[in-house]
This record gives sequence, structure tokens and C-alpha cells, in this order.
Amino acid sequence: MEWRPAVRRETVTGAPVTVGTVTVRPQARSWLVRWPCDMGGFVWNRPIAVLVERGGETARIPIVDVTRRAQVGLYGLALVFGLVALVLAARQRAHRG
Amino acid sequence: MDSGIEIITKTLQDAQQGRELMEKLLRVASPEGVYGQPIVAGEYTVITASEVRTSLGYGVGGGVGTNPAEKQEQGQADTSFGSGGGGGGFAAGRPVAVITVSPQGGKMGPVVDATKVALAFFTALGAMFMMFAQMNKAARRQR
Repeated sequence: MEWRPAVRRETVTGAPVTVGTVTVRPQARSWLVRWPCDMGGFVWNRPIAVLVERGGETARIPIVDVTRRAQVGLYGLALVFGLVALVLAARQRAHRG
Repeated sequence: MDSGIEIITKTLQDAQQGRELMEKLLRVASPEGVYGQPIVAGEYTVITASEVRTSLGYGVGGGVGTNPAEKQEQGQADTSFGSGGGGGGFAAGRPVAVITVSPQGGKMGPVVDATKVALAFFTALGAMFMMFAQMNKAARRQR
């Protein structure tokens, strides 16, 4: 039986799309998690960038996931607020005690 | 033990089907699963980019059992077998960006999911408010 890692990260480039003199190659990154005994798995695939070729030059345009960034920022803010509040409360308690 | 062999054969067939399903799941992890088909409009070509998440799990099993002695006395079959399987999964996709390709070059336009951002905002706000309220309560109790 072929051995395959349980967690795998891959960056793959897709088929090029040509418009006039411009060629675009999309890039995607995927995370693959296999459950034990190959009884299923999880795949998270997201776009990361497009490579634009024009006149022999290649430019990389990163794809920014604004929604994800906003979500992580907001949840991070709540977490930081919680941690700061806990630290302040602990300090206050130590001061009194 | 013909029934035992039957059960193993059946279980292996089920497992094979599961493995085939797993291979189909892994096909999602390709750029084709993320980037849509290019749409051409005059000099412009538009490609949509989405985030895709899928998960799948399944299980198969079987067993052989011998009937109790009293059942055998009644003339019933001495062995019985059974097999079964089950599975479940989910698939979710969300548009992330729109890529416009023109003879002038390529341009990326983000797609913002206002509902998700609003939900995250109110969840974070709620968590902060709850934390603040609990701390206030604790401080008042100490006084």
C-alpha cells in the first residue's frame, strides 16, 4: 500500500489563459488532511496569486482575501481585549491581596 | 464460513467505493476547483476565484455471529451476518476575488462578504462586552 502523508500542503499553478499578448496563470494553495485509515479527509483550497506574463516579463498579483483578513482581525481584537482584561484583573487582585 | 468470506468481500467493495469517493474529494484540491471558467467579453476576460472547503468521512463494517444454543434447537440457522456503512460530509465555497485580464494587463478585485464580516464584528463586540461586564461584576463584589 502506498504511503501518503496525513497532512499535505500544495501550491499548484493552473492552465494559462491568454488574452492578446497577456497570459495569466492562476496559482492555488491547498491543505489536505486525511483521516486515519484513509476513511475520508478534509480539503481547503484557496487562490493565492495570478502570474501575469506580458512582453517576456512576469508580474505576480497576490489575491487578497479581504473577508478572511477582516474576520481574523476582529476575532484577534476580541482575544487581545480578553487577554489584556485578564492581566489587568490579575494585577489588581495582586495589588489588593 | 462462507458467510464470513461474503461479508469480507462486501466490506472490501464498500471500502473501495469509499476510496473512490476520497479520490473525487481530492480533485477539489486543484486550481480548477478554485478558479472558474474564463468569461470573455470583448477585449476583457474575467476569472472568478473562490475558496473551497470540503470534508468527507465514512466507515464500513461487518460481523458474523453464532445463534445461541436454544435457537439452534429450534432448527434455525446457526450463523448470521450483517454489514453496513455510513458517511457524511460537507462542501462550502466562497468567492474571494475577480481577476480581470485585458491587453493592458491583469487586475485583481476583492469580493467582500459583508454578512461574514458583520457576524464577526458582532461576535467580537459581544465577547468584549461580556468580558467587560463580568470584570465589572467581579470588581464590584470585591469592593
